[in-house]
Amino acid sequence: MGNRGTRQMAGEGAAMLERHLVQSVGFRNTGPAGARDGFEFRLRLPYYRGIPASLCDGVAVSVDGESFGFEGNRIELDGRELSLGALREAVDVRWRIDQAAIVRVPRPGGLAVGVHAITVDVRLRQSYFPPQFQPSIVTETRAATIVL
Amino acid sequence: MSTAAFKYGVSLYSYSEDIGTVLTLEDAVESVADLDATGIEILGEAHVPGYPNPPAAWIDHWFALLERYRLEPTNYGSWVDTRLRLARPMTAIEAAADLARDIRLAARLGFRMVRPKFGVVSFDLVPDPIWREAVERVLDLAHDSNVIICPEIHAPTPIRHPVVDAYVEFIQRTGTKNFGLLIDTGIFQDRPLPHMPGETPEMRRDFLNGIHVEPADFLAVAPYVVFIQAKFHSITDALADEHIPWERIVPMLKRAGYSGYLSSEYEGERAPWKSLEQVRRQHALMRKLEREYDARSRPPAG
Repeated sequence: MGNRGTRQMAGEGAAMLERHLVQSVGFRNTGPAGARDGFEFRLRLPYYRGIPASLCDGVAVSVDGESFGFEGNRIELDGRELSLGALREAVDVRWRIDQAAIVRVPRPGGLAVGVHAITVDVRLRQSYFPPQFQPSIVTETRAATIVL
Repeated sequence: MSTAAFKYGVSLYSYSEDIGTVLTLEDAVESVADLDATGIEILGEAHVPGYPNPPAAWIDHWFALLERYRLEPTNYGSWVDTRLRLARPMTAIEAAADLARDIRLAARLGFRMVRPKFGVVSFDLVPDPIWREAVERVLDLAHDSNVIICPEIHAPTPIRHPVVDAYVEFIQRTGTKNFGLLIDTGIFQDRPLPHMPGETPEMRRDFLNGIHVEPADFLAVAPYVVFIQAKFHSITDALADEHIPWERIVPMLKRAGYSGYLSSEYEGERAPWKSLEQVRRQHALMRKLEREYDARSRPPAG
């Protein structure tokens, strides 16, 4: 895999993140060349404070109109890769505002090299909003590039 | 008769989205000091690296920043995430543990007030009833830590409301000095906020049009108010606030003898760096109104 680590993993202190939720750095295919099994990207928390990971109810993704439901995507925080079920129970893992999560999406063959329109729906449960408005869903679309 | 003077501060909430993308924490602290403000307010789980266990070196750095810029820590925002688990509600004991965690960290960073945001159980934002037992369990800790716990009165909850009555009743019943009220000036908003991009009339939540609390309602709770978050959304080039009637709020706070903080909480458009400029405008406006009030109430010479 081409992931050679991030500054947050090396413990070198927080880097400035891009203003977009989906970060351009880190958008890449997963799996060996010729046998790609999906793609991944780094995601900034769309909120003004960090949260216990269990308050994130998954991330739905769409690329060039093809949808990948929030139930099937996995999220890595603090080096722990979490399925939706594990995420909902991760009360001791925190998603900090200065720390991008890594979202992994299964897709046999990965994505084609080039520029894609990628949309995220980030689902958050906020305890201090009325129950009928939960989860809140924050949506953003951007163009991002797969290099290899 | 001289009137009590306000103290001026800023909540780093004002710079949400900017801190960590186009501003460092240090940039933000410098911008607060440049207003000649004396107080800085933070959100624990936003501005403390490694929350809830910041490295010791960062705590040293925090105190060095305060000293360099001559700022005092005012209020520390925390959350009691009652929906932490999907499977079951939070218990009062768990909520007390969350409060204790933040009171300890806030005190360690020099803060005198902790604003807990409790989860709610209804459309009109009634806090989860576990708040009472949770707070009672940490009152001794708050006392020993020299911290006042102060839930915020925030739109759509007005001052005249059972939620506020319950907080006041709690203070009277326990006789505690370690629990008070925080007023968010968004309750005085008397003109509608602009619609968000993509927001249709059906999506509009009523309170975004303003809940129009009469500034004079403050007088009934003034003895219990320990902090004011000066919420605002947009101030024009002519120093006119488009939603919050400061020209009515400032004189009323002066008449009430309020001598605590006005801590800016910018909650407007999140274009990069816009928050910096908007906070400066608000400080110019609030200080001008206070000077004008003081000039009017000064006794004639001789």
